[in-house]
Amino acid sequence: MSVWQRSLATIILGSWLSVVGVPPHASASCGAVSCFVTIGSQQQVAMEGLLTVNGIYSYTPMRLLPGTNGVIPGIDTSQRQLILDHHQETRTITQMATLDLNYGITERWGLQITIPYMWRTHHHIDGIGEDGPNGEGESTTFSSDGLGDMRVGLKYNLLPTLRSMVVLGFGVYLPTGVTSAKDSTGALMEPTTQLGRGQVGLNPTIYQTYELIPHRLNQFLFAGYRHTFRNNAGYQFGDQWDVNGGFNLVTVPWFVLTAQLNYRYMVHDNFSSSLLRSATPADAPDFPGEPVVLDPNIQNRAVPTTGSTFLAFTPGFQISLEGMMNSAWTKMTSAYFYAQVPVARDSNNSLAQGTSFIFGLTRSFQMLTPSS
Amino acid sequence: MKTAVVAAVLGVTLVGVLVVNGWSMGSRVPVVGTPAEDFQLVDLNGNPQRLGDYRGKVVLLNFWATWCKPCTTEMPAMQRTYDKLREKGFVVLAVNELEDETEVREHIRQFGHTFPVLMDRDNKVANQFGVYGLPVSFFIDERGVVREYIKGGLLTEQKIYEVVSRMQNQEPPKAASLK
Repeated sequence: MSVWQRSLATIILGSWLSVVGVPPHASASCGAVSCFVTIGSQQQVAMEGLLTVNGIYSYTPMRLLPGTNGVIPGIDTSQRQLILDHHQETRTITQMATLDLNYGITERWGLQITIPYMWRTHHHIDGIGEDGPNGEGESTTFSSDGLGDMRVGLKYNLLPTLRSMVVLGFGVYLPTGVTSAKDSTGALMEPTTQLGRGQVGLNPTIYQTYELIPHRLNQFLFAGYRHTFRNNAGYQFGDQWDVNGGFNLVTVPWFVLTAQLNYRYMVHDNFSSSLLRSATPADAPDFPGEPVVLDPNIQNRAVPTTGSTFLAFTPGFQISLEGMMNSAWTKMTSAYFYAQVPVARDSNNSLAQGTSFIFGLTRSFQMLTPSS
Repeated sequence: MKTAVVAAVLGVTLVGVLVVNGWSMGSRVPVVGTPAEDFQLVDLNGNPQRLGDYRGKVVLLNFWATWCKPCTTEMPAMQRTYDKLREKGFVVLAVNELEDETEVREHIRQFGHTFPVLMDRDNKVANQFGVYGLPVSFFIDERGVVREYIKGGLLTEQKIYEVVSRMQNQEPPKAASLK
Protein backbone atom coordinates (compact mmCIF):
# COMPACT_ATOMS: atom_id res chain seq x y z
CA MET A 1 0.00 0.00 0.00
CA SER A 2 1.46 3.36 -1.00
CA VAL A 3 1.93 6.22 1.43
CA TRP A 4 -1.03 8.09 -0.04
CA GLN A 5 -3.27 5.04 0.12
CA ARG A 6 -2.31 4.56 3.74
CA SER A 7 -3.02 8.22 4.43
CA LEU A 8 -6.45 8.08 2.79
CA ALA A 9 -7.37 4.93 4.67
CA THR A 10 -6.35 6.57 7.91
CA ILE A 11 -8.43 9.64 7.17
CA ILE A 12 -11.51 7.51 6.47
CA LEU A 13 -10.90 5.37 9.51
CA GLY A 14 -10.39 8.34 11.71
CA SER A 15 -13.34 10.36 10.43
CA TRP A 16 -15.63 9.43 13.37
CA LEU A 17 -13.25 11.12 15.74
CA SER A 18 -12.98 14.83 16.15
CA VAL A 19 -10.09 17.06 16.58
CA VAL A 20 -9.01 19.81 18.73
CA GLY A 21 -5.81 21.14 17.27
CA VAL A 22 -2.84 23.11 18.48
CA PRO A 23 -1.09 24.41 15.45
CA PRO A 24 2.64 24.24 16.14
CA HIS A 25 5.18 21.54 15.49
CA ALA A 26 8.66 21.19 16.84
CA SER A 27 11.96 19.65 16.02
CA ALA A 28 15.30 19.72 17.70
CA SER A 29 17.89 19.18 14.96
CA CYS A 30 18.67 22.55 13.43
CA GLY A 31 16.02 23.50 15.92
CA ALA A 32 12.86 25.14 14.80
CA VAL A 33 9.84 25.09 17.07
CA SER A 34 6.69 27.07 17.60
CA CYS A 35 4.50 27.81 20.58
CA PHE A 36 1.94 25.24 21.58
CA VAL A 37 -0.52 27.11 23.72
CA THR A 38 -4.13 26.02 24.25
CA ILE A 39 -6.46 28.66 22.89
CA GLY A 40 -10.07 28.04 23.86
CA SER A 41 -11.74 29.31 20.71
CA GLN A 42 -9.58 26.91 18.70
CA GLN A 43 -10.32 23.87 20.86
CA GLN A 44 -14.09 24.07 21.26
CA VAL A 45 -16.77 22.99 18.84
CA ALA A 46 -18.49 26.06 17.45
CA MET A 47 -22.28 26.16 17.72
CA GLU A 48 -24.17 24.93 14.70
CA GLY A 49 -23.81 27.34 11.80
CA LEU A 50 -21.25 29.48 13.61
CA LEU A 51 -17.93 30.21 11.96
CA THR A 52 -15.17 31.26 14.34
CA VAL A 53 -12.13 32.82 12.73
CA ASN A 54 -8.84 33.10 14.61
CA GLY A 55 -5.97 35.18 13.32
CA ILE A 56 -2.88 34.31 15.35
CA TYR A 57 0.67 35.65 15.29
CA SER A 58 3.44 33.89 17.20
CA TYR A 59 7.09 34.71 17.72
CA THR A 60 9.39 31.91 18.87
CA PRO A 61 13.13 32.32 19.39
CA MET A 62 15.51 29.41 19.91
CA ARG A 63 19.01 29.65 21.33
CA LEU A 64 21.59 27.46 23.01
CA LEU A 65 21.20 26.67 26.68
CA PRO A 66 24.10 27.40 29.01
CA GLY A 67 26.45 24.45 29.20
CA THR A 68 25.62 23.23 25.68
CA ASN A 69 27.68 23.77 22.57
CA GLY A 70 25.07 23.15 19.89
CA VAL A 71 27.12 20.60 18.00
CA ILE A 72 24.66 18.29 16.27
CA PRO A 73 24.56 15.94 13.28
CA GLY A 74 24.18 17.24 9.77
CA ILE A 75 21.37 15.79 7.66
CA ASP A 76 22.09 15.56 3.95
CA THR A 77 18.89 14.38 2.32
CA SER A 78 20.27 14.47 -1.21
CA GLN A 79 23.12 12.07 -0.34
CA ARG A 80 21.13 10.26 2.36
CA GLN A 81 23.89 10.90 4.85
CA LEU A 82 23.72 11.43 8.59
CA ILE A 83 26.97 13.11 9.56
CA LEU A 84 27.71 13.21 13.28
CA ASP A 85 29.01 16.45 14.82
CA HIS A 86 28.79 18.33 11.54
CA HIS A 87 26.82 21.46 12.52
CA GLN A 88 27.03 23.91 15.35
CA GLU A 89 23.72 25.62 16.03
CA THR A 90 23.49 29.29 16.85
CA ARG A 91 19.89 30.43 16.70
CA THR A 92 16.52 30.11 15.01
CA ILE A 93 13.67 32.57 15.00
CA THR A 94 10.26 31.45 13.80
CA GLN A 95 7.36 33.76 13.21
CA MET A 96 4.02 32.36 12.22
CA ALA A 97 0.76 33.92 11.14
CA THR A 98 -2.04 31.40 11.36
CA LEU A 99 -5.56 31.52 10.04
CA ASP A 100 -7.69 29.11 12.01
CA LEU A 101 -11.26 28.45 10.96
CA ASN A 102 -13.76 26.61 13.15
CA TYR A 103 -17.23 25.81 11.85
CA GLY A 104 -20.08 24.11 13.71
CA ILE A 105 -21.53 21.57 11.29
CA THR A 106 -24.08 20.36 13.83
CA GLU A 107 -24.57 20.93 17.53
CA ARG A 108 -21.85 18.39 18.26
CA TRP A 109 -19.68 18.14 15.15
CA GLY A 110 -17.24 20.78 14.09
CA LEU A 111 -14.80 21.24 11.25
CA GLN A 112 -11.46 22.97 11.70
CA ILE A 113 -8.98 24.19 9.11
CA THR A 114 -5.65 25.70 10.12
CA ILE A 115 -3.49 27.52 7.60
CA PRO A 116 -0.06 28.71 8.77
CA TYR A 117 2.26 31.12 7.02
CA MET A 118 5.77 31.11 8.40
CA TRP A 119 8.91 33.18 8.40
CA ARG A 120 12.00 31.41 9.62
CA THR A 121 15.59 32.58 10.00
CA HIS A 122 18.30 30.21 11.10
CA HIS A 123 22.02 30.50 11.68
CA HIS A 124 24.54 27.73 12.23
CA ILE A 125 28.11 26.71 11.49
CA ASP A 126 28.11 24.11 8.73
CA GLY A 127 30.82 21.66 7.72
CA ILE A 128 32.68 21.23 11.01
CA GLY A 129 35.82 19.26 10.33
CA GLU A 130 35.43 19.84 6.63
CA ASP A 131 35.29 23.55 5.83
CA GLY A 132 37.54 26.41 6.87
CA PRO A 133 41.32 26.36 7.18
CA ASN A 134 41.15 24.73 10.61
CA GLY A 135 38.01 22.72 10.11
CA GLU A 136 36.00 25.24 12.08
CA GLY A 137 33.24 25.15 9.49
CA GLU A 138 31.47 27.87 7.59
CA SER A 139 28.88 30.31 8.91
CA THR A 140 25.60 29.69 7.14
CA THR A 141 22.39 31.60 7.32
CA PHE A 142 19.00 30.57 6.16
CA SER A 143 15.90 32.59 5.67
CA SER A 144 12.64 31.46 4.19
CA ASP A 145 8.99 32.29 4.29
CA GLY A 146 5.96 30.54 2.97
CA LEU A 147 3.09 28.26 3.67
CA GLY A 148 3.49 25.69 6.42
CA ASP A 149 1.67 22.40 6.72
CA MET A 150 -2.07 22.92 6.78
CA ARG A 151 -4.23 21.00 9.17
CA VAL A 152 -7.78 19.78 8.60
CA GLY A 153 -9.76 18.18 11.35
CA LEU A 154 -13.06 17.11 12.77
CA LYS A 155 -14.19 17.70 16.33
CA TYR A 156 -16.91 16.01 18.32
CA ASN A 157 -18.41 17.47 21.46
CA LEU A 158 -18.68 14.31 23.52
CA LEU A 159 -20.08 15.50 26.83
CA PRO A 160 -21.68 18.88 26.37
CA THR A 161 -23.32 20.50 29.35
CA LEU A 162 -23.57 24.12 30.45
CA ARG A 163 -20.79 23.52 32.88
CA SER A 164 -18.44 21.14 31.14
CA MET A 165 -17.29 19.97 27.80
CA VAL A 166 -15.19 17.17 26.40
CA VAL A 167 -14.18 17.46 22.78
CA LEU A 168 -12.55 14.66 20.85
CA GLY A 169 -10.64 15.62 17.79
CA PHE A 170 -8.86 14.06 14.89
CA GLY A 171 -6.77 16.11 12.52
CA VAL A 172 -4.60 15.48 9.54
CA TYR A 173 -1.59 17.59 8.71
CA LEU A 174 -1.23 18.00 4.98
CA PRO A 175 2.21 18.37 3.40
CA THR A 176 1.54 21.81 1.95
CA GLY A 177 4.57 23.43 3.54
CA VAL A 178 7.68 24.41 1.67
CA THR A 179 10.38 21.72 1.81
CA SER A 180 12.81 22.97 -0.82
CA ALA A 181 14.26 26.10 0.76
CA LYS A 182 18.02 26.59 0.44
CA ASP A 183 20.59 28.22 2.70
CA SER A 184 22.99 31.06 1.89
CA THR A 185 25.38 28.66 0.12
CA GLY A 186 22.65 27.32 -2.11
CA ALA A 187 22.43 23.97 -0.35
CA LEU A 188 19.09 22.39 0.48
CA MET A 189 18.28 23.02 4.12
CA GLU A 190 17.63 20.18 6.48
CA PRO A 191 14.07 18.90 6.98
CA THR A 192 13.88 20.26 10.51
CA THR A 193 14.42 23.80 9.30
CA GLN A 194 12.08 23.65 6.33
CA LEU A 195 8.64 25.19 6.69
CA GLY A 196 6.86 21.90 6.08
CA ARG A 197 7.51 18.29 7.04
CA GLY A 198 6.97 16.90 3.59
CA GLN A 199 4.56 14.22 4.68
CA VAL A 200 1.13 13.65 6.14
CA GLY A 201 0.74 13.73 9.91
CA LEU A 202 -2.03 12.39 12.13
CA ASN A 203 -3.14 14.28 15.19
CA PRO A 204 -5.76 12.91 17.62
CA THR A 205 -6.59 15.21 20.50
CA ILE A 206 -8.84 15.61 23.49
CA TYR A 207 -9.92 18.83 25.15
CA GLN A 208 -11.81 19.13 28.41
CA THR A 209 -13.13 22.11 30.31
CA TYR A 210 -15.19 22.51 33.48
CA GLU A 211 -16.67 25.59 35.09
CA LEU A 212 -15.39 25.47 38.65
CA ILE A 213 -17.29 28.63 39.47
CA PRO A 214 -19.86 29.09 36.68
CA HIS A 215 -19.04 31.97 34.42
CA ARG A 216 -16.18 33.01 36.66
CA LEU A 217 -13.48 30.35 36.82
CA ASN A 218 -12.94 27.36 34.63
CA GLN A 219 -10.23 24.78 34.20
CA PHE A 220 -9.15 23.10 31.03
CA LEU A 221 -6.99 20.19 29.93
CA PHE A 222 -5.70 19.38 26.51
CA ALA A 223 -3.79 16.36 25.26
CA GLY A 224 -2.61 15.71 21.75
CA TYR A 225 -0.45 13.27 19.87
CA ARG A 226 1.12 13.79 16.48
CA HIS A 227 2.55 11.12 14.24
CA THR A 228 4.27 12.07 11.00
CA PHE A 229 5.00 9.54 8.29
CA ARG A 230 8.39 9.29 6.66
CA ASN A 231 8.80 11.76 3.82
CA ASN A 232 10.26 11.17 0.38
CA ALA A 233 13.66 12.36 1.56
CA GLY A 234 13.75 9.47 4.03
CA TYR A 235 13.27 11.70 7.05
CA GLN A 236 10.64 11.01 9.67
CA PHE A 237 9.88 13.51 12.40
CA GLY A 238 9.52 11.95 15.81
CA ASP A 239 6.22 11.41 17.53
CA GLN A 240 5.07 14.35 19.57
CA TRP A 241 2.99 14.45 22.75
CA ASP A 242 1.45 17.64 24.10
CA VAL A 243 -0.31 18.04 27.43
CA ASN A 244 -1.63 21.44 28.50
CA GLY A 245 -3.67 22.41 31.51
CA GLY A 246 -4.76 25.66 33.03
CA PHE A 247 -7.39 28.06 34.27
CA ASN A 248 -9.39 31.00 32.94
CA LEU A 249 -10.57 33.65 35.36
CA VAL A 250 -13.30 36.10 34.33
CA THR A 251 -12.35 39.24 36.25
CA VAL A 252 -14.91 41.54 34.63
CA PRO A 253 -17.19 40.34 31.81
CA TRP A 254 -14.87 41.67 29.10
CA PHE A 255 -11.49 40.69 30.57
CA VAL A 256 -10.30 37.14 31.20
CA LEU A 257 -6.98 36.21 32.80
CA THR A 258 -5.54 32.88 31.84
CA ALA A 259 -2.66 30.72 32.98
CA GLN A 260 -1.55 27.31 31.79
CA LEU A 261 1.25 24.81 31.93
CA ASN A 262 2.41 23.34 28.66
CA TYR A 263 4.35 20.12 28.37
CA ARG A 264 5.76 18.73 25.18
CA TYR A 265 7.63 15.47 24.71
CA MET A 266 9.30 14.74 21.39
CA VAL A 267 10.61 11.35 20.35
CA HIS A 268 13.80 11.23 18.31
CA ASP A 269 13.53 11.87 14.60
CA ASN A 270 14.53 9.08 12.28
CA PHE A 271 16.47 9.26 9.03
CA SER A 272 16.98 6.57 6.45
CA SER A 273 20.65 7.07 5.68
CA SER A 274 24.23 6.00 5.85
CA LEU A 275 26.26 7.09 8.87
CA LEU A 276 29.36 9.28 8.83
CA ARG A 277 31.24 11.43 11.28
CA SER A 278 33.02 14.71 10.81
CA ALA A 279 36.78 14.61 10.45
CA THR A 280 38.74 15.51 13.58
CA PRO A 281 42.39 16.55 14.13
CA ALA A 282 43.09 12.90 14.92
CA ASP A 283 42.38 12.16 11.24
CA ALA A 284 45.38 14.27 10.14
CA PRO A 285 46.69 14.59 7.48
CA ASP A 286 43.10 14.27 6.21
CA PHE A 287 41.92 17.11 8.44
CA PRO A 288 40.15 19.23 7.56
CA GLY A 289 38.58 16.78 5.13
CA GLU A 290 35.64 14.79 4.00
CA PRO A 291 33.45 13.14 6.64
CA VAL A 292 34.53 9.64 7.61
CA VAL A 293 32.18 6.83 6.71
CA LEU A 294 31.16 4.72 9.69
CA ASP A 295 28.42 2.65 8.05
CA PRO A 296 27.68 2.96 4.31
CA ASN A 297 24.43 1.03 4.53
CA ILE A 298 21.20 2.96 4.15
CA GLN A 299 19.05 2.11 7.14
CA ASN A 300 16.69 3.80 9.55
CA ARG A 301 18.63 5.65 12.21
CA ALA A 302 17.55 7.73 15.18
CA VAL A 303 18.85 11.25 14.81
CA PRO A 304 20.87 12.10 17.91
CA THR A 305 20.15 15.50 19.48
CA THR A 306 16.55 15.35 18.31
CA GLY A 307 13.96 14.39 20.85
CA SER A 308 13.30 16.76 23.70
CA THR A 309 11.14 17.65 26.64
CA PHE A 310 9.82 21.10 27.32
CA LEU A 311 7.75 22.51 30.14
CA ALA A 312 6.50 26.08 30.11
CA PHE A 313 4.28 28.38 32.08
CA THR A 314 2.04 30.53 29.91
CA PRO A 315 0.18 33.48 31.39
CA GLY A 316 -2.09 35.57 29.22
CA PHE A 317 -5.28 37.50 28.90
CA GLN A 318 -8.26 37.88 26.61
CA ILE A 319 -10.28 41.02 25.99
CA SER A 320 -13.82 40.90 24.66
CA LEU A 321 -13.99 43.87 22.33
CA GLU A 322 -17.78 43.56 22.23
CA GLY A 323 -17.83 43.74 26.01
CA MET A 324 -15.84 46.95 25.94
CA MET A 325 -17.64 48.66 23.08
CA ASN A 326 -20.93 47.61 21.55
CA SER A 327 -20.76 48.12 17.80
CA ALA A 328 -21.04 46.15 14.57
CA TRP A 329 -17.23 46.14 14.35
CA THR A 330 -16.73 44.54 17.73
CA LYS A 331 -19.58 42.06 17.71
CA MET A 332 -18.41 38.58 18.80
CA THR A 333 -14.78 39.74 18.63
CA SER A 334 -11.98 39.19 21.12
CA ALA A 335 -8.26 39.81 21.26
CA TYR A 336 -5.76 37.83 23.29
CA PHE A 337 -2.11 37.66 24.26
CA TYR A 338 0.06 34.92 25.75
CA ALA A 339 3.70 34.68 26.76
CA GLN A 340 5.11 31.15 26.90
CA VAL A 341 7.92 31.10 29.47
CA PRO A 342 10.17 28.03 29.67
CA VAL A 343 10.32 26.36 33.06
CA ALA A 344 12.32 23.25 32.24
CA ARG A 345 14.02 22.28 29.01
CA ASP A 346 16.04 19.38 27.76
CA SER A 347 17.21 19.98 24.22
CA ASN A 348 19.85 17.28 23.72
CA ASN A 349 22.60 19.84 23.05
CA SER A 350 20.57 21.49 20.30
CA LEU A 351 18.73 24.80 20.31
CA ALA A 352 16.07 25.28 22.96
CA GLN A 353 12.90 27.35 22.81
CA GLY A 354 13.05 30.68 24.61
CA THR A 355 10.20 32.86 25.78
CA SER A 356 7.63 33.03 23.02
CA PHE A 357 4.75 35.37 22.36
CA ILE A 358 1.33 34.91 20.84
CA PHE A 359 -1.12 37.61 19.77
CA GLY A 360 -4.51 36.74 18.41
CA LEU A 361 -7.83 38.07 17.26
CA THR A 362 -10.98 35.98 17.10
CA ARG A 363 -14.34 36.78 15.60
CA SER A 364 -17.44 34.69 15.10
CA PHE A 365 -19.99 34.84 12.33
CA GLN A 366 -23.39 33.18 12.40
CA MET A 367 -23.50 31.75 8.91
CA LEU A 368 -26.65 29.66 9.25
CA THR A 369 -29.54 29.68 11.69
CA PRO A 370 -29.30 26.56 13.84
CA SER A 371 -31.96 23.97 13.15
CA SER A 372 -34.55 23.66 15.94
CA MET B 1 10.17 3.56 28.20
CA LYS B 2 9.56 7.29 28.13
CA THR B 3 6.91 6.80 25.46
CA ALA B 4 5.14 4.22 27.62
CA VAL B 5 5.19 6.56 30.62
CA VAL B 6 3.81 9.47 28.63
CA ALA B 7 1.14 7.23 27.08
CA ALA B 8 0.17 6.00 30.55
CA VAL B 9 -0.10 9.55 31.87
CA LEU B 10 -2.28 10.56 28.94
CA GLY B 11 -4.43 7.47 29.39
CA VAL B 12 -4.96 8.12 33.08
CA THR B 13 -5.71 11.77 32.32
CA LEU B 14 -8.29 10.77 29.72
CA VAL B 15 -10.00 8.34 32.07
CA GLY B 16 -9.96 10.91 34.86
CA VAL B 17 -11.43 13.54 32.60
CA LEU B 18 -14.25 11.26 31.50
CA VAL B 19 -15.00 10.23 35.08
CA VAL B 20 -15.07 13.80 36.33
CA ASN B 21 -17.32 14.87 33.52
CA GLY B 22 -19.42 11.74 33.45
CA TRP B 23 -21.50 12.66 36.47
CA SER B 24 -22.65 15.78 34.70
CA MET B 25 -23.10 14.23 31.27
CA GLY B 26 -25.89 15.98 29.44
CA SER B 27 -28.89 14.09 28.15
CA ARG B 28 -30.20 14.47 24.65
CA VAL B 29 -32.81 17.13 23.91
CA PRO B 30 -36.35 15.75 24.41
CA VAL B 31 -37.93 14.66 21.15
CA VAL B 32 -40.76 16.93 19.99
CA GLY B 33 -43.99 15.03 20.45
CA THR B 34 -42.84 13.16 23.57
CA PRO B 35 -43.69 13.95 27.19
CA ALA B 36 -41.41 16.38 28.99
CA GLU B 37 -39.64 14.84 31.95
CA ASP B 38 -40.95 16.18 35.26
CA PHE B 39 -38.67 18.07 37.61
CA GLN B 40 -38.80 20.12 40.80
CA LEU B 41 -36.94 23.35 41.51
CA VAL B 42 -37.22 26.13 44.05
CA ASP B 43 -38.36 29.58 42.91
CA LEU B 44 -37.07 32.96 44.07
CA ASN B 45 -39.62 32.96 46.93
CA GLY B 46 -38.27 29.67 48.20
CA ASN B 47 -41.32 27.69 47.09
CA PRO B 48 -40.83 24.33 45.41
CA GLN B 49 -42.27 24.20 41.89
CA ARG B 50 -42.86 21.11 39.78
CA LEU B 51 -43.36 21.11 36.02
CA GLY B 52 -46.23 18.69 36.60
CA ASP B 53 -48.03 21.35 38.68
CA TYR B 54 -48.72 23.21 35.41
CA ARG B 55 -50.49 20.36 33.66
CA GLY B 56 -53.49 21.84 31.87
CA LYS B 57 -51.59 24.96 30.83
CA VAL B 58 -49.26 25.76 27.96
CA VAL B 59 -45.79 26.16 29.43
CA LEU B 60 -42.91 28.14 27.97
CA LEU B 61 -39.90 26.57 29.70
CA ASN B 62 -37.00 28.95 29.17
CA PHE B 63 -33.38 28.37 30.28
CA TRP B 64 -31.42 31.57 30.89
CA ALA B 65 -28.74 33.43 32.85
CA THR B 66 -28.17 37.10 33.66
CA TRP B 67 -24.79 37.08 31.89
CA CYS B 68 -26.39 35.74 28.70
CA LYS B 69 -27.21 38.76 26.57
CA PRO B 70 -29.63 37.03 24.15
CA CYS B 71 -31.43 35.59 27.19
CA THR B 72 -32.04 38.96 28.78
CA THR B 73 -32.89 40.48 25.38
CA GLU B 74 -35.82 38.12 24.82
CA MET B 75 -37.21 38.29 28.34
CA PRO B 76 -39.26 41.48 27.80
CA ALA B 77 -41.12 39.71 24.96
CA MET B 78 -41.73 36.76 27.30
CA GLN B 79 -43.02 39.17 29.96
CA ARG B 80 -45.43 40.91 27.58
CA THR B 81 -46.94 37.65 26.36
CA TYR B 82 -47.12 36.35 29.93
CA ASP B 83 -49.03 39.45 30.93
CA LYS B 84 -51.49 39.05 28.06
CA LEU B 85 -52.00 35.28 28.14
CA ARG B 86 -51.58 34.23 31.78
CA GLU B 87 -55.34 34.26 32.30
CA LYS B 88 -55.75 32.17 29.16
CA GLY B 89 -53.87 29.09 30.26
CA PHE B 90 -50.29 30.17 29.55
CA VAL B 91 -47.33 30.28 31.92
CA VAL B 92 -43.65 31.12 31.61
CA LEU B 93 -41.16 29.17 33.73
CA ALA B 94 -37.77 30.88 33.53
CA VAL B 95 -35.11 28.44 34.76
CA ASN B 96 -31.96 30.26 35.81
CA GLU B 97 -28.72 28.36 35.39
CA LEU B 98 -25.89 28.20 37.90
CA GLU B 99 -26.26 31.70 39.36
CA ASP B 100 -26.46 33.26 42.77
CA GLU B 101 -29.97 34.06 44.01
CA THR B 102 -28.99 37.62 44.92
CA GLU B 103 -27.83 38.40 41.42
CA VAL B 104 -30.93 36.88 39.84
CA ARG B 105 -33.29 38.61 42.25
CA GLU B 106 -31.69 41.96 41.46
CA HIS B 107 -32.03 41.37 37.73
CA ILE B 108 -35.69 40.36 38.02
CA ARG B 109 -36.43 43.36 40.21
CA GLN B 110 -34.64 45.74 37.86
CA PHE B 111 -36.55 44.55 34.80
CA GLY B 112 -39.87 43.98 36.54
CA HIS B 113 -40.40 40.37 35.51
CA THR B 114 -43.30 38.67 37.22
CA PHE B 115 -43.25 35.14 35.79
CA PRO B 116 -41.94 32.33 37.98
CA VAL B 117 -38.16 32.15 38.09
CA LEU B 118 -36.79 28.77 39.11
CA MET B 119 -33.24 28.26 40.33
CA ASP B 120 -31.29 25.37 38.75
CA ARG B 121 -28.17 25.82 40.90
CA ASP B 122 -26.88 22.31 40.18
CA ASN B 123 -27.45 22.44 36.46
CA LYS B 124 -29.44 19.19 36.80
CA VAL B 125 -32.58 20.24 34.95
CA ALA B 126 -30.55 21.78 32.12
CA ASN B 127 -28.71 18.46 31.79
CA GLN B 128 -32.03 16.65 31.91
CA PHE B 129 -33.22 18.66 28.92
CA GLY B 130 -29.90 18.45 27.05
CA VAL B 131 -29.23 22.17 27.40
CA TYR B 132 -25.62 23.21 26.95
CA GLY B 133 -26.03 26.63 25.41
CA LEU B 134 -28.28 29.52 26.32
CA PRO B 135 -30.99 30.57 25.71
CA VAL B 136 -33.10 27.51 25.01
CA SER B 137 -36.90 27.37 25.10
CA PHE B 138 -39.36 24.48 25.16
CA PHE B 139 -43.05 24.86 24.56
CA ILE B 140 -44.98 22.18 26.46
CA ASP B 141 -48.69 21.65 25.88
CA GLU B 142 -51.49 21.10 28.39
CA ARG B 143 -50.84 17.36 28.44
CA GLY B 144 -47.15 17.81 29.21
CA VAL B 145 -45.92 17.01 25.71
CA VAL B 146 -43.05 18.93 24.16
CA ARG B 147 -44.41 20.66 21.06
CA GLU B 148 -41.62 23.07 20.12
CA TYR B 149 -37.91 23.49 20.83
CA ILE B 150 -36.17 26.79 20.07
CA LYS B 151 -32.44 27.28 20.35
CA GLY B 152 -30.09 29.92 19.06
CA GLY B 153 -32.78 32.36 17.99
CA LEU B 154 -34.44 35.10 20.00
CA LEU B 155 -38.02 34.66 21.11
CA THR B 156 -40.35 37.42 19.96
CA GLU B 157 -43.87 38.24 21.03
CA GLN B 158 -45.17 37.16 17.65
CA LYS B 159 -43.33 33.87 17.76
CA ILE B 160 -44.66 33.07 21.20
CA TYR B 161 -48.24 33.99 20.17
CA GLU B 162 -47.97 31.80 17.09
CA VAL B 163 -46.81 28.76 18.97
CA VAL B 164 -49.23 29.14 21.87
CA SER B 165 -52.12 29.77 19.51
CA ARG B 166 -51.27 26.68 17.49
CA MET B 167 -51.00 24.56 20.60
CA GLN B 168 -54.18 25.82 22.17
CA ASN B 169 -56.11 25.36 18.94
CA GLN B 170 -55.10 21.73 19.26
CA GLU B 171 -53.39 21.46 15.86
CA PRO B 172 -51.89 17.99 15.35
CA PRO B 173 -48.39 17.86 16.81
CA LYS B 174 -45.48 17.90 14.42
CA ALA B 175 -44.14 14.46 13.63
CA ALA B 176 -41.85 13.38 16.41
CA SER B 177 -38.36 14.20 15.34
CA LEU B 178 -34.98 13.94 16.88
CA LYS B 179 -33.60 17.42 17.34
